[in-house]
Amino acid sequence: MRLSIENVRKAYGDTVALGESGDGDPGGRVDEGSDLGGVTLDVDHGEFFTLVGPSGCGKTTTLRLVAGFDAPTAGTVRFDGRRMDGVPPEGRNVGVVFQNYALFPHLSVAENVAYGLRFADPPGGETREERVGSLLDLVDLPDAGGRDPAELSGGQRQRVALARALAPGPDLLLLDEPMSALDARLRERLRLQIKEIQSELGVTTLYVTHDQEEALAVSDRVAVMSAGAIEQVGVPREIYRRPATRFVAAFVGDNNVFEGTVRSVRTVGDDDGRDAAGDASPESPVETKGVGSGRGGARGDGTRAYAVTVDVDGTAVPLRTRESVPPDGRVTFCVRPERMTVLDAGDGGDGGSGVDAVRPGRDERTGRVDGHDAVTLDATVSNAEFLGDSTRTYLRWNGRELTVRSPDPLSGDVQVGFDGVDAHVIDVESRSEPGSE
Amino acid sequence: MRVDPPDPVARVRRRASETGSWVERHALTLVAAVTAAVLVVMFYFPVGTVLVEAVVVDGRVTAAPLVDVLTSEFYLVDIFWFTAYQALLSTVASVALGLPGAWVLARFDFPGRETLRSLTILPFVMPSIMVAIGFVATFGRNGTLNAVLGAAGLPRVELLFTLPAIVIAHAFYNAPLVARVTTAAWESVDASAIETARSLGASPTRAFVDVVVPQLLPAIAIGATLTFVFTFASFPIVLALGGFQLATVEVFVYSRIQNLAYAEAAALAAVETVISLGLTYLYLRYEGRQRGDGQGARPQPRRSVWPASWGLREAAARVAIGGYAVVVLAVFVVPIASMVLTSLTAGGEFTLDHYRFLLERQRTGASYQVRPLPAIRNSLLFGGGTLLVAVPMGVVLAVLTTRRFRGRAAVDALTMAPLAVSGLVVGLGLLRGLVFGVEVFGTRLRVTGGLAIVAAHAVGAYPFVTRSVAPLLGNLDSRLVESARSLGATRARALLDIELPLVAAGVVAGAAFAFAISIGEFDSTVVLAEGSTSYTMPVALERYLGRRLGPATAMGCVLLAVTSLSFVVIERFGDRYGGQGGF
Repeated sequence: MRLSIENVRKAYGDTVALGESGDGDPGGRVDEGSDLGGVTLDVDHGEFFTLVGPSGCGKTTTLRLVAGFDAPTAGTVRFDGRRMDGVPPEGRNVGVVFQNYALFPHLSVAENVAYGLRFADPPGGETREERVGSLLDLVDLPDAGGRDPAELSGGQRQRVALARALAPGPDLLLLDEPMSALDARLRERLRLQIKEIQSELGVTTLYVTHDQEEALAVSDRVAVMSAGAIEQVGVPREIYRRPATRFVAAFVGDNNVFEGTVRSVRTVGDDDGRDAAGDASPESPVETKGVGSGRGGARGDGTRAYAVTVDVDGTAVPLRTRESVPPDGRVTFCVRPERMTVLDAGDGGDGGSGVDAVRPGRDERTGRVDGHDAVTLDATVSNAEFLGDSTRTYLRWNGRELTVRSPDPLSGDVQVGFDGVDAHVIDVESRSEPGSE
Repeated sequence: MRVDPPDPVARVRRRASETGSWVERHALTLVAAVTAAVLVVMFYFPVGTVLVEAVVVDGRVTAAPLVDVLTSEFYLVDIFWFTAYQALLSTVASVALGLPGAWVLARFDFPGRETLRSLTILPFVMPSIMVAIGFVATFGRNGTLNAVLGAAGLPRVELLFTLPAIVIAHAFYNAPLVARVTTAAWESVDASAIETARSLGASPTRAFVDVVVPQLLPAIAIGATLTFVFTFASFPIVLALGGFQLATVEVFVYSRIQNLAYAEAAALAAVETVISLGLTYLYLRYEGRQRGDGQGARPQPRRSVWPASWGLREAAARVAIGGYAVVVLAVFVVPIASMVLTSLTAGGEFTLDHYRFLLERQRTGASYQVRPLPAIRNSLLFGGGTLLVAVPMGVVLAVLTTRRFRGRAAVDALTMAPLAVSGLVVGLGLLRGLVFGVEVFGTRLRVTGGLAIVAAHAVGAYPFVTRSVAPLLGNLDSRLVESARSLGATRARALLDIELPLVAAGVVAGAAFAFAISIGEFDSTVVLAEGSTSYTMPVALERYLGRRLGPATAMGCVLLAVTSLSFVVIERFGDRYGGQGGF
């Protein structure tokens, strides 16, 4: 089934939970006819689509509107093109799994799974008993049918809830933070299992979570939400590699965000940039805020890239980007901690021996790697967290906080650097308009 | 494994439920409409009749009866002031008697503590006329107290028909209520808060004053306000223990009804109803603000009543508990024990004569005399009728009050109003309205006294069903219903399949409440019971009381047995899911 959410807004009284709240209007009034933006999304048939964002971002509100538990203030939800206005939850053929399981405590596990079959025949010509049996097999609980939900562990209950939601053969599976109440290890195992079952059944799935790692791990596509609006929609790699907004850059994984003014712009051939060569896969361009055009949109001009030098607090930083940059523009860009190279590990390291292990082939004297532009920053360690497989170190550089990942702990004064092709340009702002400075 | 997508048959079935049968979709609305209609006929119309009679005399609108009441020094001072005064004294006595109970129940551990805590609900199901009998058997001229005093060579005392007797009887009823709400508040005080205060340097006393007391005050205020509301409208206890010499508004309204002075009764009743409604409104507003804290608190550990070491502090506390136990015994146990004892003795000897009298009166009594078997039969019959009306009504209203919709607060208030209007007023309204007959489109509609009694009992009982069920319904996770609906159940179906089975315990407890209230109801029954056909056990008891204490106590024991049974049912089911209703 194809799910479309078109310009949907939801307000509770004066509080806008989804859609723009009407900037400059402190009351945040909601007018049906106003041109305030709503949320627009398309989920393809069989797709595993995830809404991720901090609490209060509107992701659960969106799920509740799709399920029919709440009605949108404005906008339309469509199932296969059919408008769902006024269709009650029982008429939508959706399966819902909640964070707290919501199993019926007075019914056995089998009766819970069979509940939806009171209102619809089991799909595929099975009898009810067979259907319950095959669903319990599917979630790996073949012998739990006669048990009481209270006797099961959290993970088992969640799998029963999944079986119950799937039993009537829903067109759409809605998962609302289904694993947030479980411990980390179990969560990882269960999310693999959910993903496996989902792709086996091919059921269109809308998944809501606040855990960006989980979102990246299981989804076909991810929508990052913040303050009632969609920041970016894309496949997980794209969301991680090319965040469209500052918010996405900071919310998904660790990131170092810089802004600076353009010093020079030079057009370079595509083969010169890492973006198009090497490990960069052919991905769709970044979808911009609030617009969900679906997968596989038109690619940008792949043959052209720009070498830009940006002045960040007096340090010249070379960047590679496909975005056109005005010569006096202002640029926001980010570099992942694992892309930052430690050139001098300071007092704590053993003579910087780990550096070469991170990025072999770097010329330490010039800071150039493989012939590309690179920059070196002199920073001070402010804090470090040992993570097991690596160390996350917080640095202070020019009054900014930076994060780097390194195999060995760092301390004192260090030198870190990154390659221009590893920086991702988030935002370009022209400064030509008067008064904008 | 491969699970096929839904086949066409399932889709068609879904489509059918999508359109939905209109009735099922609107089932809740329809039931609500029926309930509203019943409520109008059984409560709002009768009470409205009383209010109209207060201002319409002989077909003319006049303020004369109201002005008479509000300008008469007799009514204002002797009746209303006395009513408020005795209510105030009763409130003070109830709080004074209830607070130590809360302290003991919340802070000490001893065998039977849980049972004792449960027993605090008992007064609610005890027929007040039965309690009055117990007090007569205790404090009467030949009561237990005088027997004890006599045996000790002390002079006899005359407490009956005095204010102290009324106040003590009211404390019997309401001190457990104060103890109950205060204990609940005390138990929800988080031990970590006290420990934090101690770690910051507060002494135990200081921590108690700064942390515990502020959290107890709202509960004490709630208990005291409720006590005042209840004792302001108290009727059978004042009637039996005060007589017409010490008349509250209720008793005086009753005497006016007996004298067929309906206009005067209506005017008095109207003023009383306005006062009661106002008090209840204030109470509900206050209570509404106090709700919803103390969830998930770690209660303080209880101390044993038998301490490991005896310091001065420990000893003093135990002496206090011991003294309190004696008072509790005197106020709560002695009256009931006296009633049972009196029913089984005559002239100091054990006898079953009083029960035999009941049977004999049954066999030989003249038709105008009050015979016991019809009383018992009527009580059970009306109790059953009350269940049939009050349980569905109470459940429907519980469902409505736990759902969100516009105007819910108004519905809450309208459905809980019967708690604030005295049974006597409802009875008077039913008598003047439905029993005497109403002209509808040229036809005179009348209902018999029996039906009117069931209606009055149902009005008094259904709020208890609602308040037993509503908290359980409200605590249910809304996602259970949402899950059921996403699986294909309509709203009404989800209510039947999921919600009602999960609150069944509350429904049973509410039903037991309703039955007990019907069995013990006196206020409206005494107005509506026509001569010799529809009297109930409490009415029979009151009629015996004037002449023969022995048979009256025997009847009281029968009542005690029935209400104790109800208590066991409430106790067994009411606390099942951790929440006692609104009381």
